[in-house]
Amino acid sequence: MSALIELDRVSKSFSRGGLFSTRRVEAVKEVSFALDADKPEIFTVIGESGSGKSTLARMILGIHAPSSGQVRLGGRDVATYERRAFMAEVQPIFQNPFEAFNPLKRLDRYLFMTAERFGGATGTSAVDGSVDEALRQVGLSLPEIKGRFPHELSGGQLQRVAIARALVAKPRLIVADEPVSMIDASLRMSIVNLFGRLRDELGLSIVYITHDLATAYYISDRLIIMQQGVVVEQGPARAVLSAPTHPYSRQLRDAVLTPDSAGAFRATHSRKAAETPGARS
Amino acid sequence: MSGAGDAVPVLQVRDLQAHFRTHYFGVNREVRAVDGVTFEVNRNEIYGLAGESSSGKTTLVKTIAGLLKPPLEMVGGSARFSFLPGWDAIGRAPPEVVRAIRWRHLSYIMQGSMNVLNPLRRVRYSFRDFAWRHLGGSKVEFDARVVAHMERVKLDPSVLDAYPHELSGGMRQRVTIALATICKPDFIIADEPTTALDVVVQKDVLGMIRAIQCEMGSSILFITHDMGVHAALTDRLGIMYAGRLVEDGETPEIFSRPLHPYTRHLIASLPRIGDTEQREGLDGTPPNLAAPPPGCRFHPRCPLAMPVCTTIVPAMVETLPGHRVACHAVNPGMAT
Ligand SMILES: Nc1ncnc2c1ncn2[C@@H]1O[C@H](COP(=O)(O)OP(=O)(O)OP(=O)(O)O)[C@@H](O)[C@H]1O
Ligand SMILES: Nc1ncnc2c1ncn2[C@@H]1O[C@H](COP(=O)(O)OP(=O)(O)O)[C@@H](O)[C@H]1O
Ligand code: SF4
Ligand SMILES: [Mg+2]
Ligand SMILES: [Mg+2]
Repeated sequence: MSALIELDRVSKSFSRGGLFSTRRVEAVKEVSFALDADKPEIFTVIGESGSGKSTLARMILGIHAPSSGQVRLGGRDVATYERRAFMAEVQPIFQNPFEAFNPLKRLDRYLFMTAERFGGATGTSAVDGSVDEALRQVGLSLPEIKGRFPHELSGGQLQRVAIARALVAKPRLIVADEPVSMIDASLRMSIVNLFGRLRDELGLSIVYITHDLATAYYISDRLIIMQQGVVVEQGPARAVLSAPTHPYSRQLRDAVLTPDSAGAFRATHSRKAAETPGARS
Repeated sequence: MSGAGDAVPVLQVRDLQAHFRTHYFGVNREVRAVDGVTFEVNRNEIYGLAGESSSGKTTLVKTIAGLLKPPLEMVGGSARFSFLPGWDAIGRAPPEVVRAIRWRHLSYIMQGSMNVLNPLRRVRYSFRDFAWRHLGGSKVEFDARVVAHMERVKLDPSVLDAYPHELSGGMRQRVTIALATICKPDFIIADEPTTALDVVVQKDVLGMIRAIQCEMGSSILFITHDMGVHAALTDRLGIMYAGRLVEDGETPEIFSRPLHPYTRHLIASLPRIGDTEQREGLDGTPPNLAAPPPGCRFHPRCPLAMPVCTTIVPAMVETLPGHRVACHAVNPGMAT
């Protein structure tokens, strides 16, 4: 097999702390996996808040250099790529769209620039056309977005612009860090279905970081579960989620709140639980 | 502790309208993000808000909190807080009055948690900046109190010495929640406060939010897209669509008897672990609020739409006790 992206025992540590108490945080510890170039897939990363998912994403994107280990794109160390050539192949969708965009820059500028620099579009009408097409795939359009600044959109709209921006570049790999957490269930399904189509029709691979176990089950091919920087369980998504073996994976699965399972939480945490029966008028 | 039955409204919102008025390239645009919303939040309850992306939830709570920056304008109606007598909206009260109630009576956890933390200062100083003057005490006492409170939200005190960018999204979110609750305010507005958290931590944090709320008898206006979270946490639930409230009632009732076609779709579309069949999103796209559809704003996407829906706005009617719905099919013969 030839690998599209390959993580070879990748670790990252940060130092943090005040004057007297510097501490090293090992955000990611010896993580290895590879995505096959000939087998597009949605590869899901699930895990604890703070378990290193975003750090992992930033290493794949070449934003952080690993403390040890190597990330390779097409067999070549990501660090040796010229930035522009790399970005034409790998595109990010960041966790918090409010932080991903410069508040003083018009959103259409980002889209136009991406279409020209990475998406290979030339000429105003081709650029407009490819930007509009990408926006329509996420339920928006160029006329709606043109001239607007990030703070003028809702959280979900902004996240969809971020997804469209990644699509415009026509990359081979998208690294999506919690792309749907700010989006309602209905739109979330539309976007996850879009990811499925990108994989099946365009042969795109997606690293999908999420807390949403239901969409992970529904759309992904393989997944890893992380806790404190370490991969604690991995395998085919449906097999792992239907029968998780690591205690943390089980804990995760059991913590999912659904309208059906919510009753147990209410019984112990409801305001009403604290009341004497019949107090309600 | 006062019970839930004595429904004392802390917040009364009446026919609230808030629009964004913009002017680009010689074109005036008026986005009617909140258009005639009426509801109440009682003492000692968590009122949930759900609804499509861009339906106006954030705009609604910003207007209620008086965070009116141009181009956002409160165009009509009122939003009264019981702790701010004499003013029919925070946005209409003078700045010194508003400063006196922030954090102490009203705190606001914004969507995208970075906003409130000063990126250039260690977390400890954000606490000092916001909460010290409300809580008083010596620096040592105050710091001890902050550390104790951090432990309640399961944060290591070393986080106080970190800069916001050094924390993971979930940790920042918990810091924000700690900040919003440390002064024990009467009213907390929380816009997507748990979206960056993993499900285990989320469940913990929700339990903590509920415990703090019970302890203080305060009220919370809680926005999330996660219907599982609403089902678990909120006492009453309002559903927004295109700038309007289309249904509200006791949360368990909304889940067991959703009446508005949009609410029904929302509940039916929830993905569950084990789904392999495609669950489709709603057909069509969210309406453009600069030119919303006439009549019922849901009519272009509604499976039950009738001719009347395209012209007449359905009134919000108490269809069942404590359960209001705005839909011609549910309330035949009722128009605004
Ligand atoms: N500053 C602004 N100027 C113009 N329009 C704006 C501005 N801020 C928001 N809007 C528009 O107002 C509408 C409602 O936005 P709002 O942020 O209230 O939605 P929301 O319900 O919170 O959505 P989400 O769930 O995606 O966060 C959207 O159409 C949005 O584009
Ligand atoms: N730039 C940074 N400087 C210092 N510590 C960081 C930095 N980025 C992340 N960390 C730390 O690394 C750990 C993993 O964070 P992150 O990758 O954001 O987690 P996740 O995305 O899984 O929630 C956390 O302990 C976080 O505080
Ligand atoms: S008023 Fe008409 S269009 Fe609107 S939700 Fe009811 S049936 Fe559907
Ligand atoms: Mg993250
Ligand atoms: Mg919002």
